[in-house]
Amino acid sequence: MAPDAIVAEELAYWYGELVAVDHINFNVAEGEILGFLGPNGAGKTTTVKMLTGQLKPKAGRAMLLGMDVAHYPQKVQGEIGVCFENTNLYERMSALENLRLFARLFGVRSFDAYALLERVGLAGREKDRVENYSKGLKQRLMVARALVSRPQILFLDEPTSGLDPTSAEAIRNIILEERERGATIFLTTHDMMEADKLSDRVAFMNQGKIVALDTPHNLKQQYGRRALKAEVSNESGELEMREITLDTPRTPEAIHELFAQEKVVTIHSEEATLEDIFIKLTGRRLTE
Amino acid sequence: MNFRIIRALVAKDLSLFFRNRFYALVTALGIVTYITIYLVMPGSVDEKLEIGLYAPVVPPVLEQLPEEGVEIQAVESEEALIEAVIEGQYAAGMALPADIMDKFASGQKPQITLYFHADAPEEVKDAVEFLIRELAYLQTGQPLAIETSVEILGRDMLGEQIPPRDRMRPLLALALIMFETMGLASLISEEVEQGTAEALLVTPTRVGDLFAAKGLMGVGLAFAQAVFFMAIVGGVSSQPLIILTTLLLGAVLVTGAGFLIASLSKDMMSVMAWGAVVIIIFVIPAFGIMFPGTISGWVKVIPSYYLADTIHQAANFGAGWGDVWSNLLILLGFNLVIVWGGIMALRRKFE
Repeated sequence: MAPDAIVAEELAYWYGELVAVDHINFNVAEGEILGFLGPNGAGKTTTVKMLTGQLKPKAGRAMLLGMDVAHYPQKVQGEIGVCFENTNLYERMSALENLRLFARLFGVRSFDAYALLERVGLAGREKDRVENYSKGLKQRLMVARALVSRPQILFLDEPTSGLDPTSAEAIRNIILEERERGATIFLTTHDMMEADKLSDRVAFMNQGKIVALDTPHNLKQQYGRRALKAEVSNESGELEMREITLDTPRTPEAIHELFAQEKVVTIHSEEATLEDIFIKLTGRRLTE
Repeated sequence: MNFRIIRALVAKDLSLFFRNRFYALVTALGIVTYITIYLVMPGSVDEKLEIGLYAPVVPPVLEQLPEEGVEIQAVESEEALIEAVIEGQYAAGMALPADIMDKFASGQKPQITLYFHADAPEEVKDAVEFLIRELAYLQTGQPLAIETSVEILGRDMLGEQIPPRDRMRPLLALALIMFETMGLASLISEEVEQGTAEALLVTPTRVGDLFAAKGLMGVGLAFAQAVFFMAIVGGVSSQPLIILTTLLLGAVLVTGAGFLIASLSKDMMSVMAWGAVVIIIFVIPAFGIMFPGTISGWVKVIPSYYLADTIHQAANFGAGWGDVWSNLLILLGFNLVIVWGGIMALRRKFE
């Protein structure tokens, strides 16, 4: 088993009376993608800020690559790449200048900015000022900037939010490539489908606490309800829905009855989504 | 502090400063405008009080006037005298009656008419009136029963008054570098507003590196502009080392002020608003130098007083280290307080 790249131990933070992060514990193995899910105000951003050294925990500790972030923020930050939710690029500079600036800050000596820009689909726009980019292009540049130092840990906050399908797919591919390279990825997102597709494990955060943490498959097994959904045609030719819950003693009999007694038009299996599981666990929707 | 990081940030800030069309344009225009103002201002001072005189009969005493300070020029008629005064040709006009000598002889009081332009200063009116009375006493053989002795406290500027443009030099230099407070504050404020500071601070860049870079850029820009201006207007020909030291301390002062403005501001508009307030306060001392006597001692609580006064003393009177060391020491003290306060206020904003 790979050693842990990220360890949070009793990590807590509060703003006055408001507890933003309430003594959470988790770990992320090297080369793993952890999807970090939760509605607005759940404490995700505060957690990321503590992990990236922007906030000092009020209690507990965050360890990245074996180093306590609060004690060695500079060392830790030399090994991580952060892609923020909101675009924060130097808009009056070109993509090339933005990347070269960050390469100098990281002390990266051999660095091919053109190759990186090509990788994120910005070839041919390298020297254009960022202020002339679309949101999708800016987001690609944000991801490229996070990759400048070939980080061991990558923090991505809503990297595909509001993007066109092509840009979103390009960024998802880069995330998977980075995992292949061996990087650990901490992916904060609202997009359940994205988390399901990309993450090795997902953590659900609600009101400052982690309410579930496992692989998407295990979570669905544990909390979800599998079913068959069928469209049948009645005597007057109208379509009606039939649902058969799977994994019960009566399931085989129910399926047999369906085909024997009804005129089945369509049939498909259905499993719980992460959204369903989140609602089941917290009573809230992720997009609240 | 990481010098590699600071160097990269300074290069980035300089590049961004000159890509901001507003600040780039205002900086260039500022230098050109201030140099132009300096060059079009009078380069010499006319210290003589010119008085027009219409006198059908000239009393002998008028020929005994001292050579320095007053020059009396005869005109042909009272109408011509009035016209010349209205046109500003003379500071005052004096019309003597034709029977002035007869009236002196008979002990009567001759009627002398003095003409002044509507906006003639009160002190010129008083001086001319006093001059006439004294001449009258002399003419009638009754000089005033007093002896006056004149002692100039400080340097006697008679015959070597400072030309208006040189008197204005500290104001122009101060106004030029003060504008950098807004440029610097705007860069810092933009960095917070657009979230780029957050992006920098998750790299190995520390808050201290960020401040050092901003400080170096602010000091460098303000100092370079001030030195360029002073070199063009001849301000470093006298006591260059003192002038350069003073300008450097001035550049540090405006950088500290820029930090404070940035800590108070949320966007470009608030930078402009706070910047305008600080600039107005900081240029007040220079007006005191341009127009002596207009500002009282309280002006010394404004840090820029020590900057403007030192430039004035060194550039215009050739004052040495012995004359200005206290000014420089006070300016340094103000700098330490303002820069420290600015950094503390900004640190809270960044964290």
